[in-house]
Amino acid sequence: MSQAINLQETVFSVTVLNILSDDIEQVKSEINQHIKKNYSLFTGKSVVIEPKIELNDPVFLALLVEFLYQLEIIPVAIRTQNEKIKLQAEYAGLAVFSEAFDKTKIEDEKIFDQTLSIKTALIINNVRSGQHIYAKNRDLIVMGYVNPGAEVIADGNVHIYGKILGKVFAGASGLKQAKIFANNLNPEMLSIAGRYQLSGKINKNYKQCFVEVSLDSESSSIKYRKVLWDE
Amino acid sequence: MGRVIVVTSGKGGVGKTTTSASISVGLALKGYTVAVIDFDVGLRNLDLMMGCEKNIVHDFLNVAKNQASITQALIADKWVKNLYILASSQTGNKDDLTTQGVSKVIDALKKAGFDFIICDSPAGIEKGAKLALHYADEAIVITNPEITSVRDADRILGVIQDTSKRSKENKSPVLEHLVLTRYQPTKVKNGEMLAVDKIVTMLDIPLLGVVPEAEQVLSAINSGRPVILDKGTDVSEAYKDIVARLLGEDCQQRFLTEPKKGFFSRIFK
Repeated sequence: MSQAINLQETVFSVTVLNILSDDIEQVKSEINQHIKKNYSLFTGKSVVIEPKIELNDPVFLALLVEFLYQLEIIPVAIRTQNEKIKLQAEYAGLAVFSEAFDKTKIEDEKIFDQTLSIKTALIINNVRSGQHIYAKNRDLIVMGYVNPGAEVIADGNVHIYGKILGKVFAGASGLKQAKIFANNLNPEMLSIAGRYQLSGKINKNYKQCFVEVSLDSESSSIKYRKVLWDE
Repeated sequence: MGRVIVVTSGKGGVGKTTTSASISVGLALKGYTVAVIDFDVGLRNLDLMMGCEKNIVHDFLNVAKNQASITQALIADKWVKNLYILASSQTGNKDDLTTQGVSKVIDALKKAGFDFIICDSPAGIEKGAKLALHYADEAIVITNPEITSVRDADRILGVIQDTSKRSKENKSPVLEHLVLTRYQPTKVKNGEMLAVDKIVTMLDIPLLGVVPEAEQVLSAINSGRPVILDKGTDVSEAYKDIVARLLGEDCQQRFLTEPKKGFFSRIFK
Protein backbone atom coordinates (compact mmCIF):
# COMPACT_ATOMS: atom_id res chain seq x y z
CA MET A 1 0.00 0.00 0.00
CA SER A 2 1.29 3.47 -0.72
CA GLN A 3 2.00 5.77 2.20
CA ALA A 4 -0.72 8.21 3.20
CA ILE A 5 1.40 10.42 5.46
CA ASN A 6 4.95 10.96 6.54
CA LEU A 7 6.49 13.09 9.24
CA GLN A 8 9.18 15.63 8.59
CA GLU A 9 10.87 18.08 10.89
CA THR A 10 11.37 21.58 9.54
CA VAL A 11 12.09 25.05 10.81
CA PHE A 12 9.71 27.88 9.96
CA SER A 13 10.18 31.54 10.50
CA VAL A 14 7.19 32.95 12.35
CA THR A 15 6.40 36.45 13.50
CA VAL A 16 6.52 36.82 17.26
CA LEU A 17 4.08 39.22 18.87
CA ASN A 18 5.75 40.50 22.02
CA ILE A 19 3.25 41.69 24.66
CA LEU A 20 4.63 44.49 26.79
CA SER A 21 1.48 45.54 28.58
CA ASP A 22 -1.29 43.61 30.31
CA ASP A 23 -3.87 46.25 29.38
CA ILE A 24 -5.88 44.53 26.64
CA GLU A 25 -7.35 47.77 25.27
CA GLN A 26 -3.89 49.33 24.86
CA VAL A 27 -2.62 46.19 23.12
CA LYS A 28 -5.62 46.14 20.77
CA SER A 29 -5.19 49.77 19.76
CA GLU A 30 -1.49 49.33 19.05
CA ILE A 31 -2.15 46.30 16.88
CA ASN A 32 -4.74 48.33 14.99
CA GLN A 33 -2.22 51.10 14.44
CA HIS A 34 0.30 48.62 13.04
CA ILE A 35 -2.26 47.21 10.64
CA LYS A 36 -3.21 50.68 9.44
CA LYS A 37 0.44 51.37 8.65
CA ASN A 38 1.10 48.10 6.84
CA TYR A 39 -1.85 45.82 6.22
CA SER A 40 -0.02 42.97 4.50
CA LEU A 41 2.62 42.73 7.22
CA PHE A 42 0.17 41.14 9.60
CA THR A 43 -3.05 39.92 8.08
CA GLY A 44 -3.39 36.28 7.08
CA LYS A 45 -0.18 35.41 8.91
CA SER A 46 0.29 33.14 11.86
CA VAL A 47 1.97 34.57 14.93
CA VAL A 48 3.48 33.31 18.15
CA ILE A 49 2.58 35.35 21.21
CA GLU A 50 5.31 36.08 23.72
CA PRO A 51 4.31 37.95 26.88
CA LYS A 52 7.22 39.87 28.34
CA ILE A 53 5.31 40.74 31.50
CA GLU A 54 3.04 38.96 33.98
CA LEU A 55 -0.52 38.64 32.71
CA ASN A 56 -2.65 39.15 35.79
CA ASP A 57 -5.95 39.36 33.92
CA PRO A 58 -7.06 35.69 33.57
CA VAL A 59 -9.00 36.36 30.36
CA PHE A 60 -6.32 38.49 28.70
CA LEU A 61 -5.14 35.74 26.36
CA ALA A 62 -8.65 34.62 25.44
CA LEU A 63 -9.58 38.20 24.53
CA LEU A 64 -6.39 38.73 22.57
CA VAL A 65 -6.82 35.49 20.60
CA GLU A 66 -10.38 36.39 19.69
CA PHE A 67 -9.30 39.89 18.62
CA LEU A 68 -6.50 38.49 16.42
CA TYR A 69 -8.87 36.07 14.72
CA GLN A 70 -11.18 38.96 13.86
CA LEU A 71 -8.23 40.65 12.13
CA GLU A 72 -7.48 37.41 10.21
CA ILE A 73 -4.28 36.88 12.16
CA ILE A 74 -3.83 33.30 13.32
CA PRO A 75 -2.24 32.86 16.72
CA VAL A 76 -0.72 29.36 16.77
CA ALA A 77 1.27 29.23 19.95
CA ILE A 78 2.62 31.04 22.95
CA ARG A 79 6.20 31.16 24.15
CA THR A 80 6.51 31.42 27.90
CA GLN A 81 7.91 29.75 30.99
CA ASN A 82 5.28 31.21 33.31
CA GLU A 83 2.96 28.48 34.64
CA LYS A 84 -0.05 30.82 35.00
CA ILE A 85 0.22 31.93 31.40
CA LYS A 86 0.59 28.34 30.26
CA LEU A 87 -2.72 27.57 31.93
CA GLN A 88 -4.36 30.52 30.18
CA ALA A 89 -2.91 29.33 26.89
CA GLU A 90 -4.53 25.96 27.40
CA TYR A 91 -7.96 27.59 27.74
CA ALA A 92 -7.32 29.79 24.73
CA GLY A 93 -6.37 26.74 22.65
CA LEU A 94 -2.75 27.72 22.03
CA ALA A 95 0.28 25.48 21.84
CA VAL A 96 3.08 26.28 24.31
CA PHE A 97 6.78 26.64 23.55
CA SER A 98 8.44 26.63 26.91
CA GLU A 99 12.08 27.14 25.97
CA ALA A 100 12.94 30.81 25.98
CA PHE A 101 15.17 32.35 23.40
CA ASP A 102 18.33 32.69 25.40
CA LYS A 103 21.13 34.61 23.77
CA THR A 104 23.83 33.61 26.20
CA LYS A 105 23.06 29.95 25.62
CA ILE A 106 23.53 30.24 21.88
CA GLU A 107 26.83 32.05 22.32
CA ASP A 108 28.07 29.31 24.61
CA GLU A 109 27.22 26.73 22.00
CA LYS A 110 29.19 28.58 19.38
CA ILE A 111 32.29 28.58 21.52
CA PHE A 112 31.82 24.87 22.17
CA ASP A 113 31.57 24.25 18.45
CA GLN A 114 34.83 26.10 17.85
CA THR A 115 36.70 23.96 20.30
CA LEU A 116 35.23 20.88 18.64
CA SER A 117 36.44 21.87 15.22
CA ILE A 118 40.01 21.97 16.50
CA LYS A 119 39.72 18.49 17.88
CA THR A 120 40.74 15.53 15.77
CA ALA A 121 38.70 12.37 15.36
CA LEU A 122 40.73 9.35 16.42
CA ILE A 123 39.83 5.83 15.32
CA ILE A 124 41.90 3.18 17.08
CA ASN A 125 40.30 0.13 15.47
CA ASN A 126 40.37 -1.17 11.95
CA VAL A 127 37.73 0.28 9.66
CA ARG A 128 36.07 -2.71 8.09
CA SER A 129 34.32 -3.37 4.81
CA GLY A 130 30.98 -1.53 4.74
CA GLN A 131 31.89 0.81 7.59
CA HIS A 132 31.82 4.49 6.95
CA ILE A 133 33.53 7.14 9.06
CA TYR A 134 33.02 10.86 8.61
CA ALA A 135 35.00 13.41 10.60
CA LYS A 136 32.96 16.54 10.13
CA ASN A 137 34.86 19.86 10.26
CA ARG A 138 37.99 18.19 11.53
CA ASP A 139 40.97 15.97 10.88
CA LEU A 140 40.84 12.22 11.13
CA ILE A 141 43.43 9.76 12.39
CA VAL A 142 42.97 6.04 11.81
CA MET A 143 45.37 3.82 13.72
CA GLY A 144 44.25 0.54 12.14
CA TYR A 145 43.62 -0.69 8.64
CA VAL A 146 41.13 0.76 6.19
CA ASN A 147 39.93 -2.49 4.68
CA PRO A 148 38.54 -2.99 1.16
CA GLY A 149 35.00 -1.64 0.94
CA ALA A 150 35.47 0.75 3.88
CA GLU A 151 35.26 4.55 3.56
CA VAL A 152 36.99 7.17 5.69
CA ILE A 153 36.06 10.78 5.11
CA ALA A 154 37.20 14.02 6.74
CA ASP A 155 36.62 17.70 6.03
CA GLY A 156 40.23 18.21 7.11
CA ASN A 157 43.35 16.06 6.73
CA VAL A 158 43.38 12.28 6.99
CA HIS A 159 46.23 10.37 8.65
CA ILE A 160 46.23 6.59 8.38
CA TYR A 161 48.82 4.44 10.11
CA GLY A 162 47.55 1.02 8.99
CA LYS A 163 47.22 -0.38 5.49
CA ILE A 164 44.90 1.55 3.21
CA LEU A 165 42.85 -0.78 1.06
CA GLY A 166 39.54 1.09 0.96
CA LYS A 167 38.45 4.61 0.03
CA VAL A 168 39.88 7.78 1.56
CA PHE A 169 38.44 11.29 1.21
CA ALA A 170 40.15 14.40 2.58
CA GLY A 171 38.78 17.94 2.33
CA ALA A 172 35.36 16.47 1.73
CA SER A 173 33.66 19.87 2.01
CA GLY A 174 35.99 21.44 -0.51
CA LEU A 175 39.11 22.32 1.46
CA LYS A 176 41.79 22.17 -1.23
CA GLN A 177 44.69 22.38 1.26
CA ALA A 178 43.63 19.10 2.85
CA LYS A 179 46.17 16.26 2.76
CA ILE A 180 46.28 12.53 3.18
CA PHE A 181 49.20 10.94 5.04
CA ALA A 182 49.73 7.24 4.50
CA ASN A 183 52.13 4.49 5.40
CA ASN A 184 50.93 1.76 3.14
CA LEU A 185 48.88 3.04 0.30
CA ASN A 186 46.89 0.65 -1.85
CA PRO A 187 43.43 2.20 -1.84
CA GLU A 188 40.38 1.60 -3.98
CA MET A 189 40.15 5.35 -4.37
CA LEU A 190 41.69 8.55 -3.04
CA SER A 191 39.99 11.92 -3.12
CA ILE A 192 40.93 15.43 -2.05
CA ALA A 193 38.35 18.23 -2.30
CA GLY A 194 36.40 16.37 -4.95
CA ARG A 195 39.39 15.42 -7.14
CA TYR A 196 39.88 11.67 -7.15
CA GLN A 197 42.23 8.97 -8.34
CA LEU A 198 41.74 5.22 -8.58
CA SER A 199 44.22 2.63 -7.40
CA GLY A 200 45.63 1.85 -10.86
CA LYS A 201 46.81 5.43 -11.36
CA ILE A 202 48.99 5.50 -8.28
CA ASN A 203 52.68 5.04 -8.90
CA LYS A 204 54.01 1.87 -7.25
CA ASN A 205 56.86 3.84 -5.70
CA TYR A 206 54.43 5.53 -3.35
CA LYS A 207 52.65 2.42 -2.11
CA GLN A 208 55.07 1.12 0.49
CA CYS A 209 56.49 4.23 2.14
CA PHE A 210 55.40 7.19 4.18
CA VAL A 211 53.74 9.45 1.66
CA GLU A 212 51.93 12.77 1.64
CA VAL A 213 49.08 13.16 -0.84
CA SER A 214 47.89 16.64 -1.69
CA LEU A 215 46.37 18.77 -4.45
CA ASP A 216 48.66 20.73 -6.72
CA SER A 217 47.65 24.37 -6.22
CA GLU A 218 47.97 25.22 -9.94
CA SER A 219 46.79 22.18 -11.83
CA SER A 220 44.45 20.90 -9.10
CA SER A 221 45.71 17.39 -9.76
CA ILE A 222 46.58 14.92 -7.06
CA LYS A 223 50.27 14.75 -6.28
CA TYR A 224 52.39 12.49 -4.12
CA ARG A 225 55.48 13.21 -2.11
CA LYS A 226 57.65 10.72 -0.26
CA VAL A 227 58.37 11.91 3.23
CA LEU A 228 61.90 11.04 4.24
CA TRP A 229 63.54 11.40 7.59
CA ASP A 230 67.22 11.62 8.35
CA GLU A 231 68.42 8.46 9.91
CA MET B 1 26.95 -16.44 33.92
CA GLY B 2 26.28 -18.00 30.53
CA ARG B 3 28.47 -17.06 27.59
CA VAL B 4 26.45 -16.08 24.53
CA ILE B 5 28.43 -16.92 21.40
CA VAL B 6 27.27 -16.17 17.89
CA VAL B 7 28.61 -18.24 15.00
CA THR B 8 28.48 -16.05 11.93
CA SER B 9 30.17 -15.40 8.59
CA GLY B 10 28.31 -13.08 6.28
CA LYS B 11 28.72 -15.48 3.40
CA GLY B 12 26.61 -18.60 3.12
CA GLY B 13 27.88 -22.15 2.89
CA VAL B 14 31.18 -21.65 4.69
CA GLY B 15 30.37 -23.96 7.59
CA LYS B 16 28.50 -21.95 10.22
CA THR B 17 26.02 -24.67 11.08
CA THR B 18 28.61 -27.47 10.91
CA THR B 19 30.79 -25.48 13.29
CA SER B 20 27.89 -24.59 15.61
CA ALA B 21 26.91 -28.25 15.85
CA SER B 22 30.43 -29.49 16.51
CA ILE B 23 31.36 -26.78 18.99
CA SER B 24 28.12 -27.32 20.91
CA VAL B 25 28.72 -31.07 21.10
CA GLY B 26 32.37 -30.50 22.05
CA LEU B 27 31.48 -28.16 24.90
CA ALA B 28 28.80 -30.57 26.16
CA LEU B 29 31.33 -33.44 26.05
CA LYS B 30 33.50 -31.38 28.39
CA GLY B 31 30.62 -31.32 30.87
CA TYR B 32 29.17 -27.87 30.24
CA THR B 33 25.45 -27.31 29.72
CA VAL B 34 24.90 -25.95 26.25
CA ALA B 35 21.93 -24.58 24.32
CA VAL B 36 22.29 -24.14 20.58
CA ILE B 37 19.80 -21.94 18.74
CA ASP B 38 19.14 -22.00 15.01
CA PHE B 39 18.47 -18.38 14.00
CA ASP B 40 17.82 -19.21 10.37
CA VAL B 41 14.05 -18.77 10.38
CA GLY B 42 12.51 -20.26 7.27
CA LEU B 43 15.62 -22.22 6.26
CA ARG B 44 16.35 -24.40 9.23
CA ASN B 45 19.31 -26.74 8.96
CA LEU B 46 20.75 -27.29 12.40
CA ASP B 47 18.13 -29.91 13.30
CA LEU B 48 19.22 -32.00 10.32
CA MET B 49 22.88 -31.78 11.27
CA MET B 50 22.07 -32.82 14.83
CA GLY B 51 19.71 -35.55 13.64
CA CYS B 52 16.74 -34.28 15.64
CA GLU B 53 14.49 -33.16 12.80
CA LYS B 54 11.79 -35.68 13.75
CA ASN B 55 11.52 -34.44 17.32
CA ILE B 56 10.50 -30.83 16.78
CA VAL B 57 7.17 -29.91 18.31
CA HIS B 58 7.73 -26.27 19.24
CA ASP B 59 10.40 -24.03 17.76
CA PHE B 60 12.34 -20.83 18.38
CA LEU B 61 9.65 -18.63 16.85
CA ASN B 62 6.95 -20.19 19.07
CA VAL B 63 8.96 -19.24 22.16
CA ALA B 64 9.79 -15.77 20.87
CA LYS B 65 6.10 -15.16 20.20
CA ASN B 66 4.97 -16.53 23.58
CA GLN B 67 3.25 -19.51 22.02
CA ALA B 68 5.34 -22.04 23.91
CA SER B 69 7.66 -22.09 26.90
CA ILE B 70 11.40 -22.54 26.56
CA THR B 71 11.26 -25.92 28.31
CA GLN B 72 8.68 -27.14 25.82
CA ALA B 73 10.77 -26.09 22.87
CA LEU B 74 14.24 -27.29 23.90
CA ILE B 75 15.09 -30.67 22.39
CA ALA B 76 17.55 -32.90 24.25
CA ASP B 77 20.38 -33.95 21.96
CA LYS B 78 20.58 -37.63 21.11
CA TRP B 79 24.39 -37.78 21.01
CA VAL B 80 25.51 -36.12 24.23
CA LYS B 81 24.11 -35.16 27.62
CA ASN B 82 23.79 -31.49 28.65
CA LEU B 83 23.14 -30.33 25.08
CA TYR B 84 19.79 -28.86 24.05
CA ILE B 85 18.70 -27.66 20.65
CA LEU B 86 16.27 -24.86 19.94
CA ALA B 87 15.23 -25.52 16.38
CA SER B 88 14.22 -22.80 14.03
CA SER B 89 10.84 -22.47 12.39
CA GLN B 90 10.62 -23.74 8.84
CA THR B 91 7.39 -21.93 8.03
CA GLY B 92 7.84 -18.34 9.18
CA ASN B 93 10.25 -15.82 7.74
CA LYS B 94 13.02 -13.71 9.18
CA ASP B 95 10.78 -10.71 9.73
CA ASP B 96 8.71 -12.61 12.27
CA LEU B 97 11.63 -12.44 14.67
CA THR B 98 11.90 -9.33 16.86
CA THR B 99 14.51 -7.97 19.26
CA GLN B 100 12.08 -8.43 22.15
CA GLY B 101 11.36 -12.02 21.13
CA VAL B 102 15.06 -12.87 20.93
CA SER B 103 15.82 -11.10 24.18
CA LYS B 104 13.11 -13.15 25.88
CA VAL B 105 14.60 -16.42 24.66
CA ILE B 106 18.20 -15.50 25.56
CA ASP B 107 17.16 -14.28 29.01
CA ALA B 108 15.19 -17.46 29.64
CA LEU B 109 18.19 -19.59 28.65
CA LYS B 110 20.54 -17.57 30.86
CA LYS B 111 18.09 -17.89 33.74
CA ALA B 112 17.91 -21.64 33.20
CA GLY B 113 21.63 -21.67 33.96
CA PHE B 114 23.16 -22.72 30.66
CA ASP B 115 26.95 -22.32 30.56
CA PHE B 116 27.00 -21.68 26.83
CA ILE B 117 24.36 -20.33 24.49
CA ILE B 118 25.45 -20.84 20.88
CA CYS B 119 23.60 -18.79 18.26
CA ASP B 120 23.85 -20.22 14.76
CA SER B 121 23.41 -17.16 12.55
CA PRO B 122 21.87 -17.15 9.09
CA ALA B 123 23.98 -15.91 6.19
CA GLY B 124 23.80 -12.28 5.12
CA ILE B 125 23.83 -9.03 7.06
CA GLU B 126 20.09 -8.52 7.22
CA LYS B 127 17.72 -8.68 10.14
CA GLY B 128 18.17 -12.38 10.94
CA ALA B 129 21.95 -12.12 11.14
CA LYS B 130 21.81 -8.85 13.08
CA LEU B 131 19.42 -10.35 15.65
CA ALA B 132 21.66 -13.40 16.04
CA LEU B 133 24.65 -11.25 16.94
CA HIS B 134 22.70 -8.62 18.89
CA TYR B 135 23.04 -10.24 22.33
CA ALA B 136 26.40 -11.90 21.73
CA ASP B 137 29.29 -11.63 24.19
CA GLU B 138 31.57 -13.40 21.75
CA ALA B 139 31.56 -14.02 18.04
CA ILE B 140 33.08 -16.87 16.08
CA VAL B 141 33.54 -15.67 12.54
CA ILE B 142 33.84 -18.46 9.98
CA THR B 143 35.62 -17.97 6.70
CA ASN B 144 36.93 -20.09 3.85
CA PRO B 145 40.33 -19.49 2.31
CA GLU B 146 38.94 -17.46 -0.58
CA ILE B 147 38.82 -13.73 -1.07
CA THR B 148 35.03 -13.38 -1.26
CA SER B 149 34.34 -15.00 2.06
CA VAL B 150 37.19 -13.09 3.71
CA ARG B 151 35.65 -9.84 2.46
CA ASP B 152 32.26 -10.86 3.85
CA ALA B 153 33.84 -11.83 7.16
CA ASP B 154 35.36 -8.35 7.33
CA ARG B 155 31.94 -6.89 6.66
CA ILE B 156 30.25 -8.92 9.38
CA LEU B 157 32.98 -7.90 11.86
CA GLY B 158 32.08 -4.30 11.09
CA VAL B 159 28.41 -5.05 11.63
CA ILE B 160 29.25 -6.63 14.99
CA GLN B 161 31.19 -3.51 15.99
CA ASP B 162 28.37 -1.24 14.92
CA THR B 163 25.15 -2.99 15.88
CA SER B 164 25.71 -5.43 18.73
CA LYS B 165 24.05 -4.62 22.04
CA ARG B 166 27.45 -4.46 23.73
CA SER B 167 28.68 -1.76 21.37
CA LYS B 168 25.43 0.19 21.62
CA GLU B 169 25.66 0.19 25.42
CA ASN B 170 29.38 1.07 25.30
CA LYS B 171 30.35 -2.09 27.13
CA SER B 172 33.58 -3.93 26.44
CA PRO B 173 33.44 -5.01 22.81
CA VAL B 174 32.32 -8.39 21.56
CA LEU B 175 35.21 -10.88 21.76
CA GLU B 176 36.04 -11.98 18.22
CA HIS B 177 37.44 -15.35 17.13
CA LEU B 178 38.33 -16.53 13.66
CA VAL B 179 37.72 -20.06 12.40
CA LEU B 180 39.06 -20.96 8.99
CA THR B 181 37.29 -23.94 7.43
CA ARG B 182 37.88 -26.08 4.32
CA TYR B 183 41.58 -25.33 4.42
CA GLN B 184 43.81 -27.26 2.00
CA PRO B 185 47.53 -26.84 2.78
CA THR B 186 48.50 -28.52 -0.50
CA LYS B 187 46.65 -25.90 -2.53
CA VAL B 188 48.11 -23.13 -0.41
CA LYS B 189 51.58 -24.50 -1.12
CA ASN B 190 50.82 -24.41 -4.84
CA GLY B 191 49.62 -20.85 -4.55
CA GLU B 192 46.01 -21.68 -5.43
CA MET B 193 44.56 -20.80 -2.04
CA LEU B 194 44.94 -17.95 0.45
CA ALA B 195 47.33 -18.80 3.27
CA VAL B 196 46.12 -18.72 6.86
CA ASP B 197 48.55 -16.01 7.99
CA LYS B 198 47.47 -13.77 5.15
CA ILE B 199 43.82 -14.13 6.16
CA VAL B 200 44.64 -13.45 9.80
CA THR B 201 46.52 -10.29 8.78
CA MET B 202 43.64 -9.15 6.63
CA LEU B 203 40.99 -9.62 9.30
CA ASP B 204 43.22 -8.83 12.26
CA ILE B 205 41.42 -10.97 14.85
CA PRO B 206 42.77 -13.93 16.85
CA LEU B 207 42.68 -17.32 15.16
CA LEU B 208 40.65 -19.88 17.08
CA GLY B 209 41.41 -22.72 14.73
CA VAL B 210 41.78 -24.11 11.24
CA VAL B 211 39.57 -26.95 10.01
CA PRO B 212 40.97 -28.86 7.04
CA GLU B 213 38.87 -29.79 4.04
CA ALA B 214 37.69 -33.40 4.38
CA GLU B 215 35.16 -35.74 2.88
CA GLN B 216 33.87 -36.87 6.27
CA VAL B 217 32.11 -33.52 6.72
CA LEU B 218 29.65 -34.24 3.92
CA SER B 219 28.80 -37.71 5.16
CA ALA B 220 28.47 -36.40 8.71
CA ILE B 221 26.01 -33.74 7.57
CA ASN B 222 23.94 -36.24 5.62
CA SER B 223 23.81 -38.72 8.48
CA GLY B 224 22.84 -36.08 11.08
CA ARG B 225 25.83 -36.80 13.29
CA PRO B 226 28.07 -33.83 14.17
CA VAL B 227 31.51 -34.36 12.67
CA ILE B 228 33.30 -33.84 15.98
CA LEU B 229 31.98 -37.25 17.09
CA ASP B 230 34.07 -39.05 14.44
CA LYS B 231 37.01 -40.86 15.93
CA GLY B 232 40.53 -39.78 15.01
CA THR B 233 39.83 -37.74 11.88
CA ASP B 234 41.58 -34.42 11.26
CA VAL B 235 38.30 -32.53 11.23
CA SER B 236 37.11 -33.86 14.56
CA GLU B 237 40.53 -33.21 16.09
CA ALA B 238 40.47 -29.68 14.71
CA TYR B 239 37.08 -29.03 16.30
CA LYS B 240 38.22 -30.51 19.61
CA ASP B 241 41.16 -28.08 19.55
CA ILE B 242 38.79 -25.21 18.84
CA VAL B 243 36.61 -26.16 21.81
CA ALA B 244 39.67 -26.41 24.04
CA ARG B 245 40.88 -22.95 22.98
CA LEU B 246 37.40 -21.55 23.55
CA LEU B 247 37.72 -22.82 27.12
CA GLY B 248 41.02 -21.02 27.50
CA GLU B 249 43.32 -24.01 27.06
CA ASP B 250 46.54 -23.31 25.26
CA CYS B 251 47.06 -25.76 22.43
CA GLN B 252 49.18 -25.34 19.36
CA GLN B 253 47.60 -24.74 15.95
CA ARG B 254 47.51 -27.87 13.79
CA PHE B 255 46.56 -28.71 10.20
CA LEU B 256 48.27 -25.62 8.83
CA THR B 257 50.72 -27.55 6.69
CA GLU B 258 50.62 -30.63 4.51
CA PRO B 259 50.51 -33.88 6.47
CA LYS B 260 53.85 -35.64 6.26
CA LYS B 261 53.60 -38.69 4.09
CA GLY B 262 54.34 -41.96 5.85
CA PHE B 263 56.84 -44.53 4.67
CA PHE B 264 54.29 -46.71 2.86
CA SER B 265 52.42 -43.97 1.08
CA ARG B 266 55.72 -42.65 -0.20
CA ILE B 267 56.60 -46.03 -1.67
CA PHE B 268 53.17 -46.78 -3.13
CA LYS B 269 52.66 -43.38 -4.63
